[in-house]
Amino acid sequence: MKKFLAMMLTIVVATGTLCGCAQSADQLQADPAKEQGNSQEEETTTITIWHDKEAAVAEVLQNRLDALAPKINVVLERKSDLTETLKMVGNDPKAAPDMYFFAHDKIGVYAEMGILTPITDIIPEDELDRYLDQTLEAATYEGAVYQLPIYYETLLFMYNRLYMSDDEVPETTEELYAYMQENTKGGHYGFVEQHSTPYYAAGWINGFGGSILGGDKTPGLDRPETIAALEYHKKFVELMPGESEYATVNTLFKEKMAHSTIAGPWLIPTVRESGMDVGVAPMPVIDQTGQRISPYMGVQGVQVLKHAAETKRDAVEAVLRALMEPDIGAGLAKASGCAPANETCYEMEEVASDEVVMAMKETAEYAVPMPNVPEMDVMWTVAGNLLTDVNMSNKDVAESAQKAQQEAERLIESMQ
Amino acid sequence: MKACSKKKKRKNTVFSWMWSAPSLLLILLIVIFPILYTGYISLTNMNVYHWNDYELIGLKNYKDALFVLDNGFLTAFLVTILWTVVNMALQLVIAYLLASLLNIKGLRLRNFYKTLLIFPWAMPGYVSILLWKTGMFNSQFGLLNQWLTKLGMEPVRWLNSDGMAFLSCTAVNLWLALPFMITIIDGALQSIDRSFYESAFLDGANWGQRTRYITIPMIRAIIAPSVVITTFTTFKQFDVIYLLTQQVGGKTGANVHTIMTYAYEKAFITNNYGYSSAISIIIFAILIVFSMITNVKPKEDRES
Amino acid sequence: MSKKVRNKIMLSFANVFLCAVCFCALVPVLYAFSVSLNAQNSLLGSDFSFLPKQLTLANYGAVFTQQPVLLWFKNSMILALATLGISFCTAVPAAYVFSRKDFAGRKAVLQLLILLYAFPSLLSMTALYKLLSPMGLINTKTGLIIVYTGTMAVFALWNMKGYFDTIPVEIEEAAMIDGADSVRLVTKVVLPLAKPTLAVTAMMILIYVWNEYIFAVNFMTGADTYTLAAGLYSLQATEMSGSWPVFAAASLLVSLPILIVFFALQKNMTAGLTSGGVKG
Repeated sequence: MKKFLAMMLTIVVATGTLCGCAQSADQLQADPAKEQGNSQEEETTTITIWHDKEAAVAEVLQNRLDALAPKINVVLERKSDLTETLKMVGNDPKAAPDMYFFAHDKIGVYAEMGILTPITDIIPEDELDRYLDQTLEAATYEGAVYQLPIYYETLLFMYNRLYMSDDEVPETTEELYAYMQENTKGGHYGFVEQHSTPYYAAGWINGFGGSILGGDKTPGLDRPETIAALEYHKKFVELMPGESEYATVNTLFKEKMAHSTIAGPWLIPTVRESGMDVGVAPMPVIDQTGQRISPYMGVQGVQVLKHAAETKRDAVEAVLRALMEPDIGAGLAKASGCAPANETCYEMEEVASDEVVMAMKETAEYAVPMPNVPEMDVMWTVAGNLLTDVNMSNKDVAESAQKAQQEAERLIESMQ
Repeated sequence: MKACSKKKKRKNTVFSWMWSAPSLLLILLIVIFPILYTGYISLTNMNVYHWNDYELIGLKNYKDALFVLDNGFLTAFLVTILWTVVNMALQLVIAYLLASLLNIKGLRLRNFYKTLLIFPWAMPGYVSILLWKTGMFNSQFGLLNQWLTKLGMEPVRWLNSDGMAFLSCTAVNLWLALPFMITIIDGALQSIDRSFYESAFLDGANWGQRTRYITIPMIRAIIAPSVVITTFTTFKQFDVIYLLTQQVGGKTGANVHTIMTYAYEKAFITNNYGYSSAISIIIFAILIVFSMITNVKPKEDRES
Repeated sequence: MSKKVRNKIMLSFANVFLCAVCFCALVPVLYAFSVSLNAQNSLLGSDFSFLPKQLTLANYGAVFTQQPVLLWFKNSMILALATLGISFCTAVPAAYVFSRKDFAGRKAVLQLLILLYAFPSLLSMTALYKLLSPMGLINTKTGLIIVYTGTMAVFALWNMKGYFDTIPVEIEEAAMIDGADSVRLVTKVVLPLAKPTLAVTAMMILIYVWNEYIFAVNFMTGADTYTLAAGLYSLQATEMSGSWPVFAAASLLVSLPILIVFFALQKNMTAGLTSGGVKG
């Protein structure tokens, strides 16, 4: 027995040392990154930024931020499940990043959790004037600016010029409906969108003056405007495929089986690659309200974690200031068609001449910033269920809306 | 003699606990600690607004949780039972048949077949589910509908209606779970001494009798733990149903809820950890009570 | 003669049937294979064929050149081997005593362990984080190994105990008379007879560690600490970015080592009691 135990111990210890070695190697690598030079002030400070962006965007940021070396070493790290991991590690300087690059809609959650520092603690508020008002509005939660906006995105009306000529582009939703009736046949669709996904349906609801979540944090699912929007939207859905997720919708457009769509700017490079002559137009005007379909606007930018603001203030400030330079916006516009949040960028020729960027700037005039309050987290699910009930299961709109509203109120109450 | 055996038993006890201590310690840390921690959190108000300064609030979360235990929960519970029974029955029967086939004497390609059959298991689950949802079930472009159309049949909406979605989810769950079951049953079949069959064969027992009187009793004890574990896993299955039919942005219109997806939509999305923990503990308790009533536990006949 | 013919017919029937089953089981995998060979970045297409029209191997090349897969592979290997080693060292003695010895608390512990599987573990991650973080085990392989070993411990214990139960005690009694102590008994007598269950258990542990990504993604930060599963997860294409063909290629490449190991372990899964020569 002793021998067995001894053998076991040896193996455990051996594996332990093995992992121990691997681990200490890890730590050696991580050390300068995590504990920024407390031995010498002049040492390199490392700033880790988590993000979830495509390679082209990360590259532009990285190239610009590399200019801060050798004083500051910026590590941009693509992190899967960024939002969930942040909830867990947000307050742990050993595991958390110093900043993260993400859409503005999570700042409410993290601000309430107490892991974020307002940007204005580091950059004086008046210096933020250079940003478009809508983006600053999006970045503000409970009166404090928690995000340094970099670029924003809205959905766009896109059409395939092979089928839809520039003159045929519908000015109003009724024109769009007529076009759909005429062209939806034989496996072709006049128009497709992710009709039962809240982010996409929000454009219709907002255009009717309704809302998914109102400004006062109350759900707006049973408001008459929202119900009217859902009722009206239904006849469009009937002329679209039963599936609403992006793989189907985008593939239909890409494979030239759908003539037009409402989709994000990220679709444009892929369809252009496949040789499509794609046009971008303003959103159609909803006949009943005279307002355009008003999609959500998402602002992508940098948030600073509290622990980093406390221990690495100077480095954080330097990084933020670098990110405020207009050439970043221009670079992103060129690399990935992002619409810069920095207003001065639009004076540059390369930005002003970009069709997609300018279309987004136009859409931004009537787009609605995505709510950034924690309550929105539950609304995505509840609104999604409502849309599925109405569009896919053919349930009564008013009744479903009522039910969803109650569900949303109950969930929001149980968040407390 | 008696005193001696008593002494022996005590010696046995010390020895046994020592030998099993490392394993039990690990289980204590990684399996039991989270349960206790969840129990503790369920008594606090840990949520978005009290992320780090949460405090004990007694049984309030349990009181709130009763709202979730409504009719919808009952329906979900019944669906879960149906789901578990259907899946386990199909899994055991199919796995048993395939494992028996693999054990036919003289099957040369046995190892090759087995390796191919475990392929579904060799990929992370989310990859497989994604492949099924997008590649197979998609009603516009999915492979299944492309084949149906080629055969001149109407395309099927695999995930839209409740019944069809239930079957599709079952198919995917079977696909994911069968490799494990086949391996376990195959391993168990390998442990049976061939001479039993030989003598039974001489006695003129047919395949059915051999299965019933030799194979099943012999492998039952070996596969029991795996079967019980799989039953629990099936009971709390979340990924298959959620990712196939309910993911935000990918909802299909089907309304198949098991207790886990139901609890997820009614509680987990609120980011209220206290509340969600209370729901977890309640589900845990329900499952334990249920498994005791139905006597789902590994039979342990050996007396030594 | 007639029996031989009947056997032959049955064998060919079994072969045909198993071929069909394997094909059906592999359809989604073949689908992924086709996507991985496709030059176009799409998971869907209106005209699918198992061999795409624009054939390319570039996606497989991209996996190796654009990602540190070899590093991820090394990380996965270290985790898998360490988890396997510790699991066996802890579970074998535990399974042995639970199978062979009668001691106070034995039954209760066994029943209790299996009931633990009833816990819905959606929330376990936060708890484990709170456990590992104060010990400084976040962002270390040791932390992950402990989590993996602990997660698989109940299964390993029960699975091996179940098999040990079928090994006749008489064999050990004979060895005991020859003066073998407990350690000898286990390593020289029981383990060789238990090869099938050792192989099966090892397979379970390997597959679990190989494919686990939730803990690996959340407890490890930095692309150089990724395991294959975590790296694969980060390659996952989304609506906005990423490449489906590269992701499909990576998925298939990641599962390859598992299949090879499984194939290699097969021999051991068949060396059952029959070769032991002693009947119960």
